[in-house]
Amino acid sequence: MSAFCFILLLAWQAASTEVLERLKAGGEALNQSRAAEAAAEFRKATEAAPDLPAGFVGLGQALMQSGDYRGAIAPLKRALELNPDLPGAHQLLGFALLAAGYANEAIPHLEKVQALDALGVAQLKTGKLAEATASLQAALAKRPGDVDLMYYLGRASGLLSRQTFEQLRATDPESARAHQILGETYAVLHNTAGAEQEYREALRLRPATPGLHLELGELYVAESQWDKAEKEFRAEASLQPGDAEAAFRLGNALLQQGKVNEARRELERASGLAPGMADVLYALGKAASLDGDKAAAEKAWRALLEIEKDGPLAGQAHFGLAGVYRERGDAAKGDAEMKEFQRLQRAGR
Amino acid sequence: MVRGPVVFCFCALSAVAVALALGLEGHIFDTGTPAGLVFHHENSPTLRKHLIETMGGGVALLDYNNDGLLDIFFVNSGHLSADAKESFDRANPRYWNRLFRQNPDGSFTDVTAAAGLSSAGDANYGMGVAAADYDNDGFTDLYVTSYGRNILYHNNGNGTFTDVTAKAGVAAGGWSVSAGFFDFDNDGKLDLFVTRYMDWDLMHSKSCGVSPKIYCSPSEFPAASSVLYRNRGDGTFEDVSIASGIAAKRGKALGVAFADYDDDGFADIFVANDGMEQFLFHNNGNGTFTERALEAGVAFTDDGKRISGMGVDFRDYDNDGRPDIVVTDLARQTYAVYHNEGHGAFSYRSLPTGIAALSGISSGWGMRLEDFDNDGWKDLFVAQGHVMDNVEQIDAGLHYLEPPMLAMNRGGRFERTALGSPQPVAGRGAAFGDLNNDGWTDIVMTVLGGKPLVFRNRGGQAHWLTLSLRGTRSNRDGFGARVRVNGQTQYATSAGSYLSASDKRVHFGLGAATTARVEIRWPSGLVQKMDDVQADRFLTIIEPERLR
Repeated sequence: MSAFCFILLLAWQAASTEVLERLKAGGEALNQSRAAEAAAEFRKATEAAPDLPAGFVGLGQALMQSGDYRGAIAPLKRALELNPDLPGAHQLLGFALLAAGYANEAIPHLEKVQALDALGVAQLKTGKLAEATASLQAALAKRPGDVDLMYYLGRASGLLSRQTFEQLRATDPESARAHQILGETYAVLHNTAGAEQEYREALRLRPATPGLHLELGELYVAESQWDKAEKEFRAEASLQPGDAEAAFRLGNALLQQGKVNEARRELERASGLAPGMADVLYALGKAASLDGDKAAAEKAWRALLEIEKDGPLAGQAHFGLAGVYRERGDAAKGDAEMKEFQRLQRAGR
Repeated sequence: MVRGPVVFCFCALSAVAVALALGLEGHIFDTGTPAGLVFHHENSPTLRKHLIETMGGGVALLDYNNDGLLDIFFVNSGHLSADAKESFDRANPRYWNRLFRQNPDGSFTDVTAAAGLSSAGDANYGMGVAAADYDNDGFTDLYVTSYGRNILYHNNGNGTFTDVTAKAGVAAGGWSVSAGFFDFDNDGKLDLFVTRYMDWDLMHSKSCGVSPKIYCSPSEFPAASSVLYRNRGDGTFEDVSIASGIAAKRGKALGVAFADYDDDGFADIFVANDGMEQFLFHNNGNGTFTERALEAGVAFTDDGKRISGMGVDFRDYDNDGRPDIVVTDLARQTYAVYHNEGHGAFSYRSLPTGIAALSGISSGWGMRLEDFDNDGWKDLFVAQGHVMDNVEQIDAGLHYLEPPMLAMNRGGRFERTALGSPQPVAGRGAAFGDLNNDGWTDIVMTVLGGKPLVFRNRGGQAHWLTLSLRGTRSNRDGFGARVRVNGQTQYATSAGSYLSASDKRVHFGLGAATTARVEIRWPSGLVQKMDDVQADRFLTIIEPERLR
């Protein structure tokens, strides 16, 4: 906002020449970041014309420029008493109030001018998490690369999630979902025993809850307890036979235990459910290779490389293919794949 | 081909072993410390977290006085001062390496001072040990590695040792870790391979991590080349690292093991590197080596990922006659099993063998494929414990202190079994041998900054055969001999594991078999066969002077 133009516009028709000169001088000082000088000129303008909002707006802005947000609040409020329909004054007052810690009071002013970024922050600070999330999402849509907005949105949605979970637990602390949330919390804290107990209780209360076995299985994966993980993933896959993730996790758990034939079947099923998933294709190729079916391994890894040209999985696929070709006696193709592997390895360092 | 003489034979206390087995099912080992084995490894951890603090110390099982009982040598590390002085107070008895002589009743006596082993050099922070009879005089010598200067102790044959490093020319320098004797040129004289970890010194150490401060990753420091010494046979060695091609590859070597993987009659070298590709030095048979890990399929995992290789063994786990490779590494990786497919190629078999599932959150160091239950299949023991003493703060799912792992080999697939030692420790070195000559392999494991653990094999009813090789045209220890017994194959060596040297006798479990067919291909090329060898015996087999 050009403070100078704004202030002149406010005063144009109502002020005396002396007041206009003060406002002009104050505006120029403001534009040149001489905040103290600007504040002095605007203060004299308000003394000369106490019913003119422009002087108060200018004074508020000059004080904000000098970092005195608290001091800016009174003149901005006075400006709005004199003329409630000044969008710039609402915006400045909203910012000043927010900066001075009066987030609740800032909200109506920021709403009036739809200053979504500051509004979202004010809503976050006052615990209006759902509104904050909506405001910040809208603001981020307009400024997609703004890391501050990303931070506030992440924080707001995180707190909203926690608030909702707390509400859930307060509503029915012995529900399966309440135990699931506790399980997730313990899992994040690496309290495996606690998490396991809560997940088990959730499953006892509602055995058919989708995702519970998956979460419990992942808990065991982190502990490298693949046999236990297999059991949970198998239960999840049984509950949700159309879920590619459950099939993939089960296939991987089987693969990690060296049950390559069975792993291959599950991974093929996962691949059928979600074609074109690089993780699934890599694991499928690995299972096929270990199962002795090098042609199937080659097919899976080639399909992966159609999707992912670079990156770690592509490197791994090239490495696997090098082994397949060398074993087949095709040294030239093996060497070519190995070179691709080494190229990607160097690029990844 | 020769039907060779069985020179010495004495029955072991198999009746006692059988009696022990009755009613003692469940654990294979009893854990404890024999009387007199009073040792405490001193690594002197500092707030600066120098990487050397967390890497020691080694152990050797050797019969230094040829009384038929294995003795134990521990490598101590030393005192680290806050001001990073390269002086480790090794003259202080607290920081001595220690030799314990085994007494007939199974107790031990500290003979360090009497044996002349109390001086480890004040500028040496101790790491590991290799043991072999390098001068073919019938007495096992010791080579101690250090950050600093390594020491070769010649066994004088009268219960004492002499530091002959200067004359032998094997001080190496830098940061040496595991070492091993082997005869790379089959000239009947044991040569010496010394791994070096990295180009690092106390003055140029780094500080890693802030809160918490952690031991630096090896990626923070430049790689170093390992050293190969050729034994001239006159008490001196020639550094052939460059001429042999070994120095051409710079690594971050922690473990080393030897075997003839392509059965061409020349011992090859596998080097376990930390955080980079592994090395497989193929012996060209002309004094040179070619590094072939990538071509052979042992440089990475089957996903093309690097591992933090630490300990290594080079033995045939599936009884197909070809030596395989097992490498221990850090948690969140899995121990690597490379199966020898023949024709110079290996396949990664951590998943099908079950080792991957057993090792995902463990960090392994000293280890060995050894038939602990004498069923004819080599099992796996691993000393475990993370590098970082505060790893729980970095990854709450991991643990600094871990119990060792024992996995029994069931026809090529491994299953964890209870070890009878629930206490987690920072395991490091591990040496393997039959301490009480009952035919069942025992284990001595070092603990970083702690007391060692001795795992006494309770024995059982299965049969066994243990061979002491005595080379004549080949090196006297018979290292490098390919020994086949009832379909099993071993390469004679005391090397492998991490920082450690094991009983040089070659042990086979025979399961229900009461006799054995023995075939030895000596490093000289001579093949010696014996049929109907009675089980449950220790045999000393002397290499015939010539073909008959």
